[in-house]
Amino acid sequence: MSFARTFLIYFTIAFMIVLPVHAKDVVLKEPPKSLDQFYPPHSKQPKWTQQMHKLSNHFGGVFINLKEKDFENVDKHADKLVEEYKKTSEMVPEWEEYFDLKAAEAFAAAAKTHDMKKAGKASGDLGKTCGKCHAEHQISVWTKYHWPSFHKIKVTDPSSEKEVEFDKFMKQISGSFKSMRVNFGEGQYDRAAKALKAFKSEYMELKSTCSKCHTNDDVKRFYVGGDAETAFQGLAKELNAEKPDPGNFWKNVGLVGKTGCKNCHLTHRTYSKIKEIWEEK
Amino acid sequence: MNLFTRLLNLLIALGCFAIAGIALAYFFINEKFEWIPEPILELAREKDLLEKPEAKRCADCHKDIYDAWKKSRHSISWTSKTYIEASENRTKEKCLACHIPESVKGEKPSPRLDRRDEGIYCVSCHFVDGKMNGPYDLVAPPHPTYRNPEYVRSGFCGSCHQKTFKEWKATKEEDTCQDCHMPRTQARLTQKFGLNLLHKKKGVGNHRFLHGEISEKDILMEASFQDNYFNISLLNKTVPHGVPTADNGDPRLYLYFTFYNSEGEEVDRAKEILAPQQDTALPFNKKVNFRYRLFDPINRVSVVLKYQPAWSKEKELVWEKTVQP
Repeated sequence: MSFARTFLIYFTIAFMIVLPVHAKDVVLKEPPKSLDQFYPPHSKQPKWTQQMHKLSNHFGGVFINLKEKDFENVDKHADKLVEEYKKTSEMVPEWEEYFDLKAAEAFAAAAKTHDMKKAGKASGDLGKTCGKCHAEHQISVWTKYHWPSFHKIKVTDPSSEKEVEFDKFMKQISGSFKSMRVNFGEGQYDRAAKALKAFKSEYMELKSTCSKCHTNDDVKRFYVGGDAETAFQGLAKELNAEKPDPGNFWKNVGLVGKTGCKNCHLTHRTYSKIKEIWEEK
Repeated sequence: MNLFTRLLNLLIALGCFAIAGIALAYFFINEKFEWIPEPILELAREKDLLEKPEAKRCADCHKDIYDAWKKSRHSISWTSKTYIEASENRTKEKCLACHIPESVKGEKPSPRLDRRDEGIYCVSCHFVDGKMNGPYDLVAPPHPTYRNPEYVRSGFCGSCHQKTFKEWKATKEEDTCQDCHMPRTQARLTQKFGLNLLHKKKGVGNHRFLHGEISEKDILMEASFQDNYFNISLLNKTVPHGVPTADNGDPRLYLYFTFYNSEGEEVDRAKEILAPQQDTALPFNKKVNFRYRLFDPINRVSVVLKYQPAWSKEKELVWEKTVQP
């Protein structure tokens, strides 16, 4: 085999290995179990987030005080940064390798020269360690610890009055919505009117569901508020009319879908899906 | 004078002194407590009472109030199964302030770190800024109590029951939360033997915090048939806030309709859920109308109203009526 062919084979293999990086795939890895202890319900406070804020404050504190020529506080923040950085590196064993204690110490030493340029230059190596971990885990951590698990929520089915799983309820409500649309499309207006009754009561039940987490009534009214109420009235009016107007009917269908379903799905569905996959494992 | 007569006279004199002493103490404690010198009161003070004691310690004297509170929802605000489930094992931060309040004083309280199992207890409401507060100024030798008029005003309850307070305020009714939920009876504040004799009876609020006995006289119904529609209206006539009401719980009224034809056969059913979280609770003194399309000829409609408190899966019957065209 000639050198050129060998080189070509190895180059192709190497290129294929590198290729996924260029493809900009987003990989969300579930955070390690050891992080659980720093978030509710295992901890009363979101300690990991608080720790990140501490690091950020001391890192920022160095530059703010350098700018203000308050060198005493520059030194304090530099020392505290190293101390907290070291402490953080020991909190989650699986992430230990993201931390570079030498880079932190080098930054602190540079900061203590009180020379902005030197501190700026030394901050690069340290900043990279933060950036790498954030790039790989920040969204995962938000998803796992800051978003609710919808599939854990129970909803009272207005028909049976029994508590059902959230996911099951969403399938049910989707079925009622579909039943109304399909029957209307077939000209079965009485059936569509009955399906609307079921759909509306299920839809209104979602207000109670929002209240399980949100104390502010404006939240639930954003999704299931005045616009949805008007749309429901419009739908009922058409379905009870002698000759329903398809234009009005479909306009109101669109309004219900847009104000409630779409807005809520855009806000919550992505994170809920990811959590569901992680929790199914 | 023989010995027996002397002894008898002595006993009579001692008895008279004792009665006079009790009468004098009764007079000073109940009428002129400000005349009692502070050093004398200091001798009777029990210092631990001003160090946020557990509810059981308060029960040493205020047994009747303690017993009533123990039966209330306030006493289990941290330990109730419903709360634990709804708060995902007490992890929802939004619930803490009102389920374990540090000190209630007219605005949303802060949650406390100690004695959480006691829920909303004596100290939460009566121990404010290092002093024991209540609706009366009292000498109460073990601890002084300072009168705060807020204790008989709705705003005090509104610290936590904010939405209900707003609903009540909008009605402009004079009856306060305490008038209905803590009705007063003439009773002694303390049951401790000795001390109870020294305290005059006063209006004492029911610390069980009475809750929702609603009936036919509270929720009125009107119904009629028109063309192929059944129209019905409900009116909350007597309760000066939404029925039901809650800030974060999910109490409900269920209104059931069963439609029968002339053969007595059931031909249709309908239901309404009246719940604060769905913005469908019955407002005070304002008719709420419902309209049902009748798909078949109807001879009779059975209307049933049931109530389900936030903490229960069971429903209680409020009333049941039959309407005919």
